[in-house]
Amino acid sequence: MNRVGVDHTDRTAVRTDKVWKTFSQTAEEVHAIRDLSLVIDRGEFVALAGPSGSGKTTLLNLMGGLTLPTSGAVWVAGRDLTQLSMAELARIRLTDVGFIFQAYNLLPVLTALENAEFPLLLRGIKKDEREQRVRKLFSRAGLAGLESRLPGKLSGGQQQRVAVIRAIVGEPSLVLADEPTANLDSSASDGLLEMMQEFNQEFKTTFIFATHDHRVMVRANRLIHLIDGSIEIDKQH
Amino acid sequence: MKKRATIILWLALRNLRRQARRSLLTALSMITGAILLMFSLTFGDGSHEQLIEASVRMGSGHITVQMPEFHENRRIDERLSAEVRTEVERVLLGPEFTEHVTVVTPQFAIDGLASSSAGARPVRIIGVDPITESKFTLLDEKVIKGRYLEPQDEMSAYVGMALLGSLKLDIDSRFVLTAQDVEGEITSQLVRVVGVFRTGIPAVDESLIHIPLSTVSAWFQIGDDVTNLSVLLDSSMSAGPLVRMLKRELAVIELADLEVMDWRSANPQLASLLKIDDFGNYLFHGILFTIIALGIVNAVLISVLQRYREFGLLQALGLTPRQVGGLVLTEGFILTAVSTIVGIALGLFITWFFWGDGLDLSALFGDEEWEFSGVVMDPVLIPLFRPVRIIQGILFILTIGTLASLHPAYRASRIGMIEAMKFDR
Repeated sequence: MNRVGVDHTDRTAVRTDKVWKTFSQTAEEVHAIRDLSLVIDRGEFVALAGPSGSGKTTLLNLMGGLTLPTSGAVWVAGRDLTQLSMAELARIRLTDVGFIFQAYNLLPVLTALENAEFPLLLRGIKKDEREQRVRKLFSRAGLAGLESRLPGKLSGGQQQRVAVIRAIVGEPSLVLADEPTANLDSSASDGLLEMMQEFNQEFKTTFIFATHDHRVMVRANRLIHLIDGSIEIDKQH
Repeated sequence: MKKRATIILWLALRNLRRQARRSLLTALSMITGAILLMFSLTFGDGSHEQLIEASVRMGSGHITVQMPEFHENRRIDERLSAEVRTEVERVLLGPEFTEHVTVVTPQFAIDGLASSSAGARPVRIIGVDPITESKFTLLDEKVIKGRYLEPQDEMSAYVGMALLGSLKLDIDSRFVLTAQDVEGEITSQLVRVVGVFRTGIPAVDESLIHIPLSTVSAWFQIGDDVTNLSVLLDSSMSAGPLVRMLKRELAVIELADLEVMDWRSANPQLASLLKIDDFGNYLFHGILFTIIALGIVNAVLISVLQRYREFGLLQALGLTPRQVGGLVLTEGFILTAVSTIVGIALGLFITWFFWGDGLDLSALFGDEEWEFSGVVMDPVLIPLFRPVRIIQGILFILTIGTLASLHPAYRASRIGMIEAMKFDR
């Protein structure tokens, strides 16, 4: 018998069960997500598409434990996020979820290397191992030699690569990326997507993108189209 | 947990370094406050100690031992017999007292009348031992004519300038002292002026007369009896504990009925004045540091608001809201701690310059006397360094700085990740 709040399906990276997310704006209630049920397996490379306001970002927030549903359940790494304390949610975000943001969001006081290794630092991994893992990824991402630069001294594409390394360096089961290519030119976007696809295939990390970018949708092996907080199309490539 | 605390400390130091200008400006306000606090505390304590010293050396010492009724009625039959005096002096020579006792001087104080051909004036006559009294009193330093009493003096008088004028006397002039003897009879004693003093306190200059104790003894036939023993200590702070210890020791030798008073009881007006002054200082420090605290709140809060997204990111990366709040609190604490150390050190360093020669404020008051509660204050203020005050200052600033960071820390811990990290930004 399953324990309450634990999902024993090993293949599942993230699952939502009848999720509603409602925002109250003055007297009016806005349903950002409506009764959405979804299962995404480990190793999938998923694009969430849809017009602005369709609920892509809200769904990513729910899957990352950045916010909780109004009703329903969200399962990540076999655990129901709605049943967890703040500290347990923080732990899940640290160990099981990686985030990539549109605006890079690197910590400005840390160097590129320190930013990338930050999740490992929080997990208490020793300095030598942290550096070894990050330098290896820097080398693969074409960032070798930029380790000691502060974010302000890196281009947008380089910053986003550092953010990707930060998201995957701890080998989480799930990486959530919101419009990661929105601020990049086409060359930088292609390079970044290629890099993420390699990590997806090599580490079997699940990537979920909220995107308007056609290039992301083409590379995804599953496309989920949202309209008004509900799934309109869910198809495998 | 310890690891996480180390990371928060590391991040806090990095953030302070990144915002070097703001950190420096915030620190400067606290450093200035700490310097002013040290300046105010050391000079406040120094001026108080000077006032107390001036008061006790013009009066009955840091501690005075007498018969219980003498303080109220000043009758000479309420006096310490020679045997009791010897016993008390023996106790005060004990090792537990000598560390703090500078001098013990016997006094025989009596109210009477001084008269000359020019008239008569009410006076307070104090019979003193010229040797011990010269180590005790400040009166000998106030001489303006002649000299202070000397051991070989008999029937000599050291009088105030105003009394000298009102009785139309001069050095070597003779005048008559009249007082009640132990039987209640009026008796007189002829004395000769050997020295004249001016304290600047009208009540003292018009009425105080020092004469040799041997003259008093012969006049009233009282042998070695005295009305009180006055004790001068190394510091006014020693008075309270020594009074308690002396009472215990006197009880052991069955002299518990003697009255042992410290300077506060002997001069309650001065004690009240110092309390009021302390209150004023605390109020000033409170206002000063409230202004500084508001500056800290403002600086840290602006920093929090500017780093709104960063705090959201830290939570997204795995820090708890409490740890994010802890980061802001740590930044505030580090800034406060460093500013406190620098400010206190600078404050002590600056104050140290005045330690030898003091801070001369005489230019502010010109020829006017600084009289407080019957005590003339030296216009040259000497700072007093007391470790307990320095510790109090450090704790006070640390508390204020940390409290000022609490609100910004709370705000940082309440930042919602969604608002901070809106992917669509």
